[in-house]
Amino acid sequence: MTELRYIRAVNMALADAMEADPTVVLIGEDVSEAGGAFGASRGLRERFGEARVLDTPISEGAIAGMAVGAAMSGLRPVLEIMFMDFTTLVMDAMVNQAAKARFMFGGQASVPMVLRTPHGGGLGAGPQHSQCLEAWFAHVPGLKVVCPSDPASAYGLLRAAIDDPDPVVVIENKALYAMKADVEGTPPVLPIGKAVIRRAGTDATVVAYGAAVRTAIAAADTLAERGVSVEVLDLLSLQPWDEAAVLASLSRTHRLVIVHEAVEAFGIGAEIAARMAQIGFDELDGPIMRVGAPFMPVPFSKGLEDAYLPSAAGVVRAIEKTME
Amino acid sequence: MAGANPVVMPKLGLTMTEGLLASWRVAPGDEVKAGDVLFVVETEKIATEIEAAGPGRIESLLANEGDVVPVGAPVALWTGESSRSERPETPDAAENVSRSATEGVSAVPAVAAERRLSTPLARRIAREKGVDLAALQGSGPRGRIKAADVEAAAPRAHAPADHASPQRRPATPVERIVADRLSASKRTIPHFYVLADADVTELLHVRAELNAGGAEPKFTVNHFVVAALARALAQAPEFGVRWTDGMIETVPGSGVGIAVDTPRGLIVPVLRDAGTLGLEDLARDASALVLRAREGRLLPGDTAGAVISVSNVGMTGVAHLVPIIDPDQSAILGVGAIKPVFRPDAEGRPALRQEMGLVLACDHRVFDGMRAARFLDRVVQGLNHPLRLLRAEHATGVRS
Repeated sequence: MTELRYIRAVNMALADAMEADPTVVLIGEDVSEAGGAFGASRGLRERFGEARVLDTPISEGAIAGMAVGAAMSGLRPVLEIMFMDFTTLVMDAMVNQAAKARFMFGGQASVPMVLRTPHGGGLGAGPQHSQCLEAWFAHVPGLKVVCPSDPASAYGLLRAAIDDPDPVVVIENKALYAMKADVEGTPPVLPIGKAVIRRAGTDATVVAYGAAVRTAIAAADTLAERGVSVEVLDLLSLQPWDEAAVLASLSRTHRLVIVHEAVEAFGIGAEIAARMAQIGFDELDGPIMRVGAPFMPVPFSKGLEDAYLPSAAGVVRAIEKTME
Repeated sequence: MAGANPVVMPKLGLTMTEGLLASWRVAPGDEVKAGDVLFVVETEKIATEIEAAGPGRIESLLANEGDVVPVGAPVALWTGESSRSERPETPDAAENVSRSATEGVSAVPAVAAERRLSTPLARRIAREKGVDLAALQGSGPRGRIKAADVEAAAPRAHAPADHASPQRRPATPVERIVADRLSASKRTIPHFYVLADADVTELLHVRAELNAGGAEPKFTVNHFVVAALARALAQAPEFGVRWTDGMIETVPGSGVGIAVDTPRGLIVPVLRDAGTLGLEDLARDASALVLRAREGRLLPGDTAGAVISVSNVGMTGVAHLVPIIDPDQSAILGVGAIKPVFRPDAEGRPALRQEMGLVLACDHRVFDGMRAARFLDRVVQGLNHPLRLLRAEHATGVRS
């Protein structure tokens, strides 16, 4: 058993992928000489050389365009966008080029690239450095989106993303970077599109991903003391998401709550709720509840941000509501 | 609600005091015109579509499907004319509804909910286990029926065959109405019975010849029984009476009620003036009436106008049926199976005959044993001599 931090798991996955495949290159702002704003690529320039770990100008559009071109010409680039808020600037390359190439070239082209970026608040980083925009990418056919919730899944999903022949957006919650967990050797590569049950239960299902999984487990602990058995399902992949696992869990518990840190409106939760209302209709014994951030920019003030982020107490209330 | 008038539970028959709101055909916000069906009412006898008297918009529904609503109580609000202006207007529709609830006639909370709430899982389990949601009280918000409520009400079909505890389920509104009426009948009507066996050997021959070659209409044994009863009634119009609120009421005509087993339960449509119909017309009309009853297409008038009914269980092999009189009538003839018997002929030798067991249940407030016996004898004579039944009875004794 060794202790592994989330950010170290990301670093390990990048290193192991670069070791295994010489076409894997890293591109981003401050990823090379500084080792990444959060330290994800620390030591990699020294180990694999400047040519494979590239610092770029402050132009996300250029980074993404370069990555798409490199991917279409034989490399496996992993680009880092320092804050997910800045992915607004990569959209043309990601949406119109990376996501479309396989389809527009009759399946003869693929874009094996990975976009790594941290989302999420809790660090007092303000409205332009805290947003959760994963639903934007999940809405685009041709892109895959994953969101690891702990060190092991951070390693396993990033390795899977780099191995994948198509563009994958890997979203890390920056509040989890310091998270520690005990792991046995190197964590396994995880399949994209598979959810895992983090906690088994019989009375209600809480579907969560990323940092919200911790919130969901805290809520489940609270309710367990009151004799309510909550199942927590960690999606891990948002696009494609594990519809079968959610339906199976709903069929056991008959009540569904979806939690994410992103604003509630028009989010991943809306998609899951809509699908389950359709294919899981006859399993429902209460309304499907969503817990997410209010429809507001993330506040800067610590006090306001604490109130803004979904809490375990909020998840408890939602579970109680669906069990009324 | 400015400009909203109540739509009330109509009185569809003389003795109707409440009706089961079986289903809504409109929703709040719907614009309707005269003749559009608003809702369906079931009484113990029939299902009736209630139509809008004029144009209007439905504002809200005050009763749920499955509610039993007193006659005259509002079931909805709309912008059209009050549906029964002759009824005393209640100042507050909701007040009237809640009163009905406190009287205990409503099986569910008479909150003015738009529909009965239940979860999808509860509905699925109810479907699978044959539980009637209309009879349940929901424990969820706004009375929502949840899976646990259905499970609690479901008969435990797969329970091991121990006889530890009896299973219960709430009666459906229709079952409750039937139970109430029949209990009232047995409690208030002093029943007595006269029994006879009718020799129908001849009748069976006549019937076989009439039906030979698939001719239409097809005559049933029950057509002959109805005809015999109707002829007896037309010949002895003094039998067309019933007890009503301390008065003896004469009901003109020779209508005969025919008990019909339907998916909704037992209902008794009336073949009006059956005594004046030739057997062919009688058979045709009776078959059509029974079909309408089975399909739930009876009209309000189809269950009125008779003081005597026929209930025939002859198809089962049961020898005799001792029936309960309909509370609106004064007699009912129970008909059993036809069975072969040996009877002595004129020379005392055994002869094979076909006989049918008859039980006439009578209300002793309007008949006595002698009169009942004479009446039943007329019926038996009719069945013994079926050719007489072919001809219509033109006696017009009480008809003017």
